[in-house]
Amino acid sequence: MTTLVRGGRLIDPLQGIDAVRDVLIENGFVAAIGEHLDANDARVVEAGGAIVAPGFIDMHVHLREPGQTHKETIASGTAAAVAGGFTAVACMPNTEPALDSAAIVSEVMRRADAAGLARVYPVGALTRARAGTELAPYHLLADAGCVAFSDDGSTPRDARLLRNAARYAADLPCVFISHCEDPDLKGEAVMNEGEASMRLGLDGAPGLAEDVIVARDLLIAADTGKAWHIAHVTTATSLDLIRWARARGVRVTCEVTPHHLAFLDDRFDDYRADAKVNPPLRGSHDREALRAAVLDGTVDVLATDHAPHGADEKAQLLSVAPVGFTGLEIALGAYALALPELTLGRFVELLAVNPARILGVPGGTLAVGMPGDVSVFADRPWTVDARLFRSKGKNTPFDGLVLPRRALATIVDGAVVFEHGRVLPREEVTA
Amino acid sequence: MPARSLLDVDDLSPAELVAVLDRAVAFRDVLPPRDLLAGVPVLNLFFEASTRTATSFTLAEQRVGADVISFAPGASSLGKGETIADTALTLYGIGVRVIVVRHQQSGFARRLADAFEGHVINAGDGTHAHPTQALLDLMTLRQEFNRFDGLRVAIVGDILHSRVARSNIVGMRAMGIDVTLVGPPTLLPREFGAGGVRIERDFDAVLPHVDAVMMLRIQRERITGGLLASLDDYTLRYQLNGARLRSLGGSAMILHPGPYNRGVELTDDVLDDPRSRYVAQVHNGVFVRMAVLDLLVNGVPVAA
Repeated sequence: MTTLVRGGRLIDPLQGIDAVRDVLIENGFVAAIGEHLDANDARVVEAGGAIVAPGFIDMHVHLREPGQTHKETIASGTAAAVAGGFTAVACMPNTEPALDSAAIVSEVMRRADAAGLARVYPVGALTRARAGTELAPYHLLADAGCVAFSDDGSTPRDARLLRNAARYAADLPCVFISHCEDPDLKGEAVMNEGEASMRLGLDGAPGLAEDVIVARDLLIAADTGKAWHIAHVTTATSLDLIRWARARGVRVTCEVTPHHLAFLDDRFDDYRADAKVNPPLRGSHDREALRAAVLDGTVDVLATDHAPHGADEKAQLLSVAPVGFTGLEIALGAYALALPELTLGRFVELLAVNPARILGVPGGTLAVGMPGDVSVFADRPWTVDARLFRSKGKNTPFDGLVLPRRALATIVDGAVVFEHGRVLPREEVTA
Repeated sequence: MPARSLLDVDDLSPAELVAVLDRAVAFRDVLPPRDLLAGVPVLNLFFEASTRTATSFTLAEQRVGADVISFAPGASSLGKGETIADTALTLYGIGVRVIVVRHQQSGFARRLADAFEGHVINAGDGTHAHPTQALLDLMTLRQEFNRFDGLRVAIVGDILHSRVARSNIVGMRAMGIDVTLVGPPTLLPREFGAGGVRIERDFDAVLPHVDAVMMLRIQRERITGGLLASLDDYTLRYQLNGARLRSLGGSAMILHPGPYNRGVELTDDVLDDPRSRYVAQVHNGVFVRMAVLDLLVNGVPVAA
């Protein structure tokens, strides 16, 4: 099978390319990059006027399968991924049961293959059942296909256990990913602590709840030498801590989400849970620090923390409604909305180059011989209508907004899996 | 479009607020005929235990001739199975036109009002708002001082957990009252100092300069959360007692939303003090609630 992406502006920072180029993919791998390549009998994706980039990887996604398939399935989640412009996702282990055994991880990968859309890289649990008391079997999980370990959704309370985990897993390439919120400082918080939470009479979590765990985990990373990734950073202080650690040679990377870049903690006056998320949306001081940190290089990755829930679940009272919302299908536009100054080269680094490097997975460039995973997008405004999402989760604070950038076509392993607004599973492509 | 609700004091314009107080005073002077809300089904939905507020609302509803239904559901019976929207639809379908609701969670009244086609009166939602309490406090202040503008009021104690404080801050600021909040930083975070409200830690420095002091209840469970060291430690700084009564002005007024913790936020001699207005407060509450019911259901002409 041959696919030709024709006439687009190719942005490939690792090759130093920013020029109109055709990309030819044969048998799943990049075969040639050049001007006016011969199409022959290739499946042609017309990319004139659009931007062509190495496949985007969202390294923070909740696919909910197994156990919570009313919220999302691997099939619906990967459909949302390719429709949003992503060729791969890393899926978090807070499923039911958690991704803490090789058998479950293998089953996730089998179902991802069967779905035939985005690549799925499982993130294994850091502790058994994410309970924070016993180490997960890291070597077995890595053999089964896990690319990282995390108890995302919470943090192990026990620093001694976390240090031992980092020492035990030191020789595995899999990065540790921290969800940084101190459960005691957070308490029963449903939003950020600030003037808004005080006025509304709602429990708020201070930025301090995040900062103390970021500091702890960075110090454990320094102590053990383990490569560490801080998920969804939301505070100016946490960014300063990351800069401090990095300056001392700690192997640390970090990500920010579209919603923390775009929104503030002023979205709770109606007491609905639509904007309830962990860590919470913060104040303007923190948001401006996040935006600056993306531009100055402190932030390595943009990741959605795609966290779908049923509409009935999100409609519950603020105290009991689940945290998070869908992100895959608004991501490209949301990043462009929040960061209009971001160059396309840096955009591709944040979405493709760095996630591939941090997770140790193929991609990040369309150099000849690399996997044929391509994201084609354009700066064309569109209006978000969450009802049209492929994700089962129809809840997002971006609903109804006009976003300035959108995915046009997504190619995975040389197969066009999204084009002209349609998701095309691979069986359909080859039939 | 949903009918008009009272979720917090600022659902009323300043002119409407004054009109409600005027109407309440008129009702207190001469009870109206019992037909203002004749045949209107009013549901008292109290998820959280209440003696004074529930009794006061029930009496107010009866005095305006409403069909009163009172129901105290278990704390968890809503929000688990049936959604708020479904409950609201059901209650309206049954015929309920006014819901007076109290709930442990901030925002419950708002969520209910957004889904209910009739009127919702917030009788207290979590730590957020208790508008009829603030209205009866304003009524009691005006009764004594015949004005709001320039009055100096201190609200003392656990501001963080107090819906009474929040609604009073909103209402008092709208009426031009000079509000000072007094309490330790754990129960009075600096974020409360928004919108022209003063924050003071030194109760003794504030006391001589206020026209009224509102003492909030201190709950013992604040100690286990590390918000207070001990009741003794708290009372040393913030209790209204015999010694502090001497520095309070002779024409000043003492307010308390109740219920008291005698020996904690105040001592017995405070309750016996002639400046204490607790009985006037609860007495006024019934008339304020009659006026609110009348406003929401019938509308009240606002004086220019």
